[in-house]
Amino acid sequence: MVKIVRDLADTSSYWAALWTMCTMPDVHVICDAPIGCFNLVATAIPDYTDAVPHIENVTPSVITEKEVGGTGTGPAVQRTYEGLRDEGLLEGKYLIVVSTAESEMIGSDLSDLVTQLKPGTTFFHSESLTEDEHTGRDRTLQWLWENYGAAQAGDVEVVPGLVNIIGATYGNFNQPSDIAEVKRLVEGAGGTVNVIFPEGTLLSNIADLAKAQVNIVMYKEFGHTLADTLGQPWLHAPFGIQETTDFIRRLGDWLDTREQADAFIKQEKKTTLQTVWDLWRGPQSDWFATTSVGISATGTYVDGISNYLGQELGMQIAFVAPRPRGQGDMNNSDVRKILHDRPPTFVYGSINEKIYLSEAGARMTNFIPAAFPGPVVRRSIGTPFMGYRGAVVLIQDIVNHLYESLYNFLPVDTAYANQRAGQGGANGAPQGPPRHQGNVTGNLPWQTEAKAILDAAVDKLPFLARISASRELQMRVETQAHDRGLGEITPDLAAEVLEMKSE
Amino acid sequence: MTVNETPQDAKPGGKPCQLHPQSMCPAFGSLRILSRIEGSHPVMATDTGCLYGLTFVTHFYGARKSILAAHLGTEELMAGEVVENTRAAIEVAAQEPGCKLIPVVSLCVAETAGLPEEMLPKRVNDAEVVLVRVPAYAIHSHPEAKDVALEALLKRLGDPKGGPKEDKTVVLLGEVFPADPLAIDALLRRIGVENTITLPGRSMEDMRRVARAGAVAPLHPFYKGTLQTFRSWNIPVVGGAPVGISGTYAWLKSIGSLLDLDPKLIDQVAEEERAKAQAIVDAQSLSGRIFVTGYEGTELAYARMLVEAGAEVPYVSTSIGADPLVLPDELWLKAHGTQEVIYRKTLEDDVRALDRYPPDLVLGTTPFASIAKERGIPAMYFTNQLASRPFFLTGGMAATIGFIKQTMERSPRYEWMVEFFEDGS
Repeated sequence: MVKIVRDLADTSSYWAALWTMCTMPDVHVICDAPIGCFNLVATAIPDYTDAVPHIENVTPSVITEKEVGGTGTGPAVQRTYEGLRDEGLLEGKYLIVVSTAESEMIGSDLSDLVTQLKPGTTFFHSESLTEDEHTGRDRTLQWLWENYGAAQAGDVEVVPGLVNIIGATYGNFNQPSDIAEVKRLVEGAGGTVNVIFPEGTLLSNIADLAKAQVNIVMYKEFGHTLADTLGQPWLHAPFGIQETTDFIRRLGDWLDTREQADAFIKQEKKTTLQTVWDLWRGPQSDWFATTSVGISATGTYVDGISNYLGQELGMQIAFVAPRPRGQGDMNNSDVRKILHDRPPTFVYGSINEKIYLSEAGARMTNFIPAAFPGPVVRRSIGTPFMGYRGAVVLIQDIVNHLYESLYNFLPVDTAYANQRAGQGGANGAPQGPPRHQGNVTGNLPWQTEAKAILDAAVDKLPFLARISASRELQMRVETQAHDRGLGEITPDLAAEVLEMKSE
Repeated sequence: MTVNETPQDAKPGGKPCQLHPQSMCPAFGSLRILSRIEGSHPVMATDTGCLYGLTFVTHFYGARKSILAAHLGTEELMAGEVVENTRAAIEVAAQEPGCKLIPVVSLCVAETAGLPEEMLPKRVNDAEVVLVRVPAYAIHSHPEAKDVALEALLKRLGDPKGGPKEDKTVVLLGEVFPADPLAIDALLRRIGVENTITLPGRSMEDMRRVARAGAVAPLHPFYKGTLQTFRSWNIPVVGGAPVGISGTYAWLKSIGSLLDLDPKLIDQVAEEERAKAQAIVDAQSLSGRIFVTGYEGTELAYARMLVEAGAEVPYVSTSIGADPLVLPDELWLKAHGTQEVIYRKTLEDDVRALDRYPPDLVLGTTPFASIAKERGIPAMYFTNQLASRPFFLTGGMAATIGFIKQTMERSPRYEWMVEFFEDGS
């Protein structure tokens, strides 16, 4: 079967391995990679996903034609190791050699070589030609445990009340905020956070994972294999009101702190969640039923956002496109077609969806970043999507975007646009409305078929935008009619003006 | 050093302490150029991780353009489906509205597996299909991949017989700030040039037409293959670039003699430009020590301008390999106080220089700029801040020098930040 990719949303397991291992400062990775696979993973992309200037504890073997052409990568890795050793960069570090798509392509297996490097050096075959980032992260977490933690875990006793948070790695959208919120929920329910793994701990402390009574797995895509292996009860991090409430209660039951958990929920309703209650009782929630939302993000985010906005708040879920894509899920060409034809009021997504909206000229649609790829800083811990605080952030964001839309619909006197004419909007101002708007008296008659064309054009737009857009489209056609001295609007004219618009 | 040597080989006999080569993934240089052409819909042949990273940076720095690829994993490679899947992606790209060009960008894994050109179509509907081979393991730097892409396009599209020869048209070669070609064009028209065309640009028609131009003037020194293509059309190459005081003067003279323009007029305009440039330097001269250490391949020219403006530039490093095209700038710099010019540099080279010649300002790669900032030294990412500003002729000179001056005056902020964060208080 022929497989074509449009604007990939998930990266490979090699990236997953680096973005998992290198979060721990006592690890150094030699990636068996050409310059590009080093630069993109260690510098260019984490600048824009995690806002770190560069990942410092990774060094490439720098595969060149020589290695591809015959020598293999062994000597290059050996040389890289010696350089690191001589510069003193490996002192106190665990050294791990990781394969890449290209090293796998030329069949470079360094399992034997690593035994001749620094004692304890390991080789991680990343399966980069086969596995995606999610499978890769899951397998890396498990591999780290098996190779560095499991052996000492036998002596570790479980401490009641301790909870691990598993899955903190580079390249997860909004992670600092979501982790901070999950941590707050765990503490509210009566638990104490033990290890946030792996970002937030040292590899030398990995056996501490065995101390926890409960594990929280941040994402549905990875981390579950390690949680199963650890053998304690575990939960996924929650979204929305109901799921979060269940999460806190369940934690309370498992940690034997149910009373504290219930009290926390009660307190949260009067504090954090009061915002949701106020917006629900206010005029803001009246818009929800006619607000449509499309989501393209990780399965964790798609499920969480669509459940909260759709099931709990009653917005229309126009489409969901979970990543990684499972059987029957929409691919990016499907998403692109929807966004070109009938974009919803809100799109949660990556830069891919943002580009499709740009192609479509869909300026009535609000784009909200909710996934990678795409450059975004989300290091402040004040913008969770998960938990109770996430419920507030999501709804607050939507309402503010609706306000912004309403503002943009209000008329501005056309005289200003006329004054700008000829400057071509060089000051960055949007194109003005049709020139005669507001200066023409009376209504022009529309032939029935012409009206039907207008209705069809309006029907393609998000609901909230329709009142204003219908006036704008109508004016556009009528302006043309006036310019041409027509006494009524014909279907031909409407089609000519609006088809152009709707393309 | 030639393009194909590895960074580790750069200092034979020395200890291998060059660990972290500094370049954007080379292939991105080609994608940036290819994605920006109107009507161009690139198809990539590569593995998942590479595709993710390159699409990511292309969507950030290239164009708002959907990018197609053949899926290439173990399964497809084992089944020998590289060609089949790439052809299928080409078919989909050809259906994009206004599609005129489908560059097939072949990267490490596809190049290792083999992607024979004769197995790909040359044309689909209205679109030319052009194979661009840019495996990072063989190209080594991001600027040089721009050359590979442009050469491939010109070889296919350049049309020497498609119209009358334009003897008084000059091709300006290099990705520059949009206002720069306007200024250069205006100046060249004063000396009798009739037209200029900037490459790489957004128009495919330009790529056909350049094959009939009177001369090509590389503004950047890494378009080796592209210049060979121009030579194959018997189009002469202008040496140097219109940068700084002496550079601009020599460049104008060189164009004048290549195009056989009025020597008196050239002298007059060249002298005027020299006087204007000198006045700018006199009005706002620089002092202090500056490092120019980006990976754009244009670092030597920037260094040269800064030296002319009064700065001390003891150390220059770049991602490209040494080449006759950069040699004049290197010799000029060495004659004007520059101690070291490093090609195919690594982070370790740059950091060593930081100890050796403590600078007042660093224009570097992101890792190096961050290391300089950790020491309280004003620093910025060369690519974002310098390569995206006017640079050529007097206008570019004034803008660049003014900006550098301003940045150097900000140094107390850099010191305060490091004081605050160092002790954690």
